[in-house]
Amino acid sequence: MKARKARTTARRVARRLGVALAAALLPATMTAAQEGAGLDAAARTTANLPEPSFKPLPTPSLNFYGSPGLIDMPSAEMMPDGQFTTTLSYFGGQGRYTLTFQALPWLSASFRYNSIRNWNLGGFPTYYDRGFDVRFRLLEETRNRPEITLGLQDFAGTGIYAGEYIVATKNFETPALGTSRLPGRLKLTAGIGWGRLGSYNSIASYGTRPAFNPGNTGGQLSYDQWFRGPFAFFGGVEWQANEDWAFKLEYSSDDYVVETQTTSVFQKKSPVNFGVEYQATKRTRLGAYYMYGSEFGLSAQFQLNPSQPTTPMRLAAPQPIRPRPSFDAAPEIWTLAWTDSVNAPAQLNQNLVALMEPDGLILHSLKLEPHAAELRFSNTRFNTYPVAIGRVARAMARALPGSIETFRIVPVERGMGLSAVTIRRSDLEALEFAPDASDAILSVAGIGNAGATPESARLNPDLYPDFSWSLAPYFSPAYFDPKNPVLIDVGVAANATYKPAPGWVISGTLRQRLAGNLEDGRVSPSLLPPVRTDQALYAQYSTTINQLYAARYWQPRDDLYARASVGYFEYGYGGLSTELLWKPVNSRLGLGVEVNYAMKRDYDQMLGFQDYRIVTGHASAYMDFDNGIYGQVDVGRYLAGDYGATFTLDRVFDNGWSVGGFFTVTTASAQEFGEGSFDKGIRFSIPLSWFTGQPSRKSLGTTIRPIQRDGGARMHVPGRLYGQVRDAHAKALKDQWAGFWE
Amino acid sequence: MGGVLGMIRRILIGATLLLSACSSGTEEAPLQLQVFNSTRDLIRARISSGQEVERPPLRRSDLDPLEGSYLEASIERRDILAYLFVNVDLDDDYPGRLRVWRTDDNVTLTMRNGVLVSTRGLGDDLLSSRVQVSGTRPGPSSGGEHVQYIRTAEYDSLQMSFACELVDLGPETIVIVERKHATRHLQQRCTGPSGEFVNDYWADSGAGLIWQSRQWAGPGIGYMRFRRLTNQ
Repeated sequence: MKARKARTTARRVARRLGVALAAALLPATMTAAQEGAGLDAAARTTANLPEPSFKPLPTPSLNFYGSPGLIDMPSAEMMPDGQFTTTLSYFGGQGRYTLTFQALPWLSASFRYNSIRNWNLGGFPTYYDRGFDVRFRLLEETRNRPEITLGLQDFAGTGIYAGEYIVATKNFETPALGTSRLPGRLKLTAGIGWGRLGSYNSIASYGTRPAFNPGNTGGQLSYDQWFRGPFAFFGGVEWQANEDWAFKLEYSSDDYVVETQTTSVFQKKSPVNFGVEYQATKRTRLGAYYMYGSEFGLSAQFQLNPSQPTTPMRLAAPQPIRPRPSFDAAPEIWTLAWTDSVNAPAQLNQNLVALMEPDGLILHSLKLEPHAAELRFSNTRFNTYPVAIGRVARAMARALPGSIETFRIVPVERGMGLSAVTIRRSDLEALEFAPDASDAILSVAGIGNAGATPESARLNPDLYPDFSWSLAPYFSPAYFDPKNPVLIDVGVAANATYKPAPGWVISGTLRQRLAGNLEDGRVSPSLLPPVRTDQALYAQYSTTINQLYAARYWQPRDDLYARASVGYFEYGYGGLSTELLWKPVNSRLGLGVEVNYAMKRDYDQMLGFQDYRIVTGHASAYMDFDNGIYGQVDVGRYLAGDYGATFTLDRVFDNGWSVGGFFTVTTASAQEFGEGSFDKGIRFSIPLSWFTGQPSRKSLGTTIRPIQRDGGARMHVPGRLYGQVRDAHAKALKDQWAGFWE
Repeated sequence: MGGVLGMIRRILIGATLLLSACSSGTEEAPLQLQVFNSTRDLIRARISSGQEVERPPLRRSDLDPLEGSYLEASIERRDILAYLFVNVDLDDDYPGRLRVWRTDDNVTLTMRNGVLVSTRGLGDDLLSSRVQVSGTRPGPSSGGEHVQYIRTAEYDSLQMSFACELVDLGPETIVIVERKHATRHLQQRCTGPSGEFVNDYWADSGAGLIWQSRQWAGPGIGYMRFRRLTNQ
C-alpha cells in the first residue's frame, strides 16, 4: 500500500514536471549553454563512428515482370530473404501486376496478372491472363564471379509470357557524385533466353517448341518445352548513380511476335529500351522508360520485408518482478496460513483477474496448492504466446502467496488446454535482469502437455456464460473475373458469440451489404457440379446470414484435440463438420482427420438449403520443417465429389508473416476442371501489428487463385484445429521466446 | 427507391454504422474494427503532432520541493524526452544494484549501477545486457565484454557482443539544472563485429551515482542521454 502511494505521488510529480513520453515529441534541445555541454561533446566524438546497425543491404530494382532485373529483361540478382514485392508496369497497352516473394535466399516465386489491350484475337478485345514465375540462384556473386540465376517465366502451360533464361549479373562500385553522397553502383547483366526471351535475333535453336495458343486451358507444367526452340542473347546495364536515381539501358531478346505481328498491340521499332528510376521512399520506386523505339513505359515497385515493420512493436512495459524477502526477513509471507482461509481462493482469483485484464488476458481457472499453482488463461491481445505467458507469470508472482513456488501456466483456446509451461518462482525472481534473460528462463522452464483441467481447479466464476459481440465493416473481394480484375463488396457485419461453458461456442454473423459489384461476377459453365462457380448467384442478396453455428471443442485424451460443428459455416455451405487432430506439444508432426456433411445453402443465404448434399473429408498431415517452412498434405474427397490431394507449403516468420502456395490434384480431369486444369493458388497473411506497432492477434491476408473452379474445392469451416493449436506448442513457444520478459 | 437517393441513403447508413463500429466481450475484436481504430488513432496522432508543444524550461526551484529521485532521459535519434521516476530498486545474484526507472506512459529503463541494461516500451528494445559493474561503484567497473541482447522485428533476441576499454578522462564539473556536480568522466569505448559505440559517464563516487551519461541502447534506439535531476 505504501509502495502504491509513493508511486502515485511520483506520477503526479512527473506530470507536473512536464509530462512523460506520451506527450512525446518534445524538442530535446538543451536550454542553458553550459548544461549538457559534456553530452554534446560526447555526441560529437561518436558522430563519425560506424554505429552498429540493422540496416539491410540495398535491394535490387525490379523489371516489368516484377523480378529483379532491367526493364523488360531479368537480371541474376536475388532479393533479401523474405522480401515481398508488388510491381505495376505498363507500356504499349500492356499492364502487368506482379507479386513476388523471396521464399528462400536462393529461390523466388512470382504470381502475375496481366492485361493486353487491342488484342482482338479469339474474341477477346482485351486479353487477361495469369501466370507464375520461379527463379533459382545457381551461383552467388563473389569478388571475381557474377551471380548466376536460372528463371522460368510463366512456366505453367503455354503461357503468353512463357520463357526460360540463364542470366549473370556483376556489381561494380562507381565513384560518389558529390562529397556527401554514397558511392554509386554499376550492374552489368547478360543472359541467354528461350521461348519469348529467345524470339529476337536468335543465335540457334534446340528441339521444338509449340507456338503460343490462347485457347489452351493452361495450368499444366510445360516442362517438355522448357529450354526448347530458338534461343538468343540479351543484356544491359543499370547504373545506380546515388541513393535516389538510377539509369537503365537494355537490349531485349523479346520480339513480341504475337503482339506486333499476329495482331497489332503496339509497333516494335528497336530492341533497345532505356529509362530512369527514382527511389521515392524506402519501399517505393518509380520508373519511366522509352521502350522498343515506339512506346513510353511506367513502373511502380513496392517492396516490403517481414523483418522491417512499418512501425516497431511497442508493448507497455510490465511491472518488474519483486523478489520475495528471505524467510528470515519476513517469515509471515512464507506461511501456509492462507490455505486455511475459505475466502483465499476467491480473493486471489479476483486479484489475478485485476492484474491480467489490462493486458487482454482472461483467467479461466486457477488451481491452488500450498506450494504450486496452475493457471489457465486465454490470450486476446498478444501475437505470440511467450509474451502472454510472461505477463501471466508476472501477475502470479505479484498476487500469489509467498509459499507458492511452482507456476504451471496453461494457454487455453476454445476451452482446450494447449500446452503447459512450468516455471519456478525463484527463477523468475532471479533471472529477469540476467545477462541473457530470455534464454536463461527458457533453459529452466518446462514445456509439456496441459492435460485436462484438474478437478480441484476453481473456474473463474465470472467467465461463463460468456457473451461477446461486435459491429464492424467487412470487405469481400473476388479476383480475376474476365471483365473486372477485382470485384468487391463492402458492408457491415454484426457478430454475436455466446459461450455457455468451456469448449462451447455458438456464433452468428449477419451481413448487410452497402455497396459493391460482386453481383456482376460471371457464372461460368462447369462440367462438375457448380460448387464454387456460382458464387455470383449468392452475391445477388444484400442481407445475409453469413455464419450461424454451434461448435464443441474438447480433448479426448492427451495430444488429441476434437471439434464438432453444426450450422451454417460460410456463404455457400452448412451442415455438420467433425475433426480430430493428433499433435503432441513437442512434436513437429501433426495428423488430422475431418469428416463433413456439406449442404449447399440457398442463394439468399437465409436458413434454407438446396438439394446438393455431399459427404467430404480429409486425412491431413502437418509438418513443421525447421527453417520456418510448414508443409501440409490433405488427402480426401472434395465438394464436387472428386477425390484427390492438396499440397501446401508456407514460409512462416516468427513475427507472424506467412506467405505460401498450394495446389490440388483430383480425379476431376483437366477437361472437367476447365480453365487452369487444376486448383492452385497463393496465400499470404501479414500481422496487423506489423503495420501498427500495437499488439494484436489479427492478420491481414488473402488467398488468391488464378481462377476459382469447382474441382478441388472445400467447405470453409470456422475454427479448424491445427492453426489454433500450433501457436502454443513447443516449437512456436521456443522460436518466439524472446518475448517472455517483454 | 430512387437510384441516387437510395445510394446516398445507403452511404449515410453505412457511414453511421462504420463510425459506430465497436465490440465487447472476451472475443478479440474483428480485424476490420482493429484496422479502423488504429487508423483513427494514427490520424489523431498526426494531427496533434502538428501542434508544437513548448517545453517549459526546467528550474531548480521547481525541482527543490520534489521528493524522490528523478531522471531525465532523451533519445537522440527520435528527439524525444521524458522524466522518469523510480519504479523499484532491486538486488539479484549479479554484481551491482538494479534500479528500474519508469515513465507515466509505461516505458521502463533499467540500470545496473547506472549502466543501462534493458529498455521496455520503446520498440526495438534492449532486452538484456551483460555489463561490467562491481559493488556499489557507479558506472562500469572495468573494460572487457559488453553484450546486448536486442529484440528484432522477427521476435528474436539478437546477441551483439562488444569488447570495450574503459578510460578515465579525469575530473569534470558539470551543471544540471543550475546545480554543479564534481564528477569523473569515464568513457567506455566498445568495438564489435557490427560497429563501434562510445558511452560516456559522469560519475560521482562520493554520492555513489552517475549524474549524467550518454549510452548506446542498440541499433533500433541508438544513443540515449540521461541526467539525474534530483537525488534523494
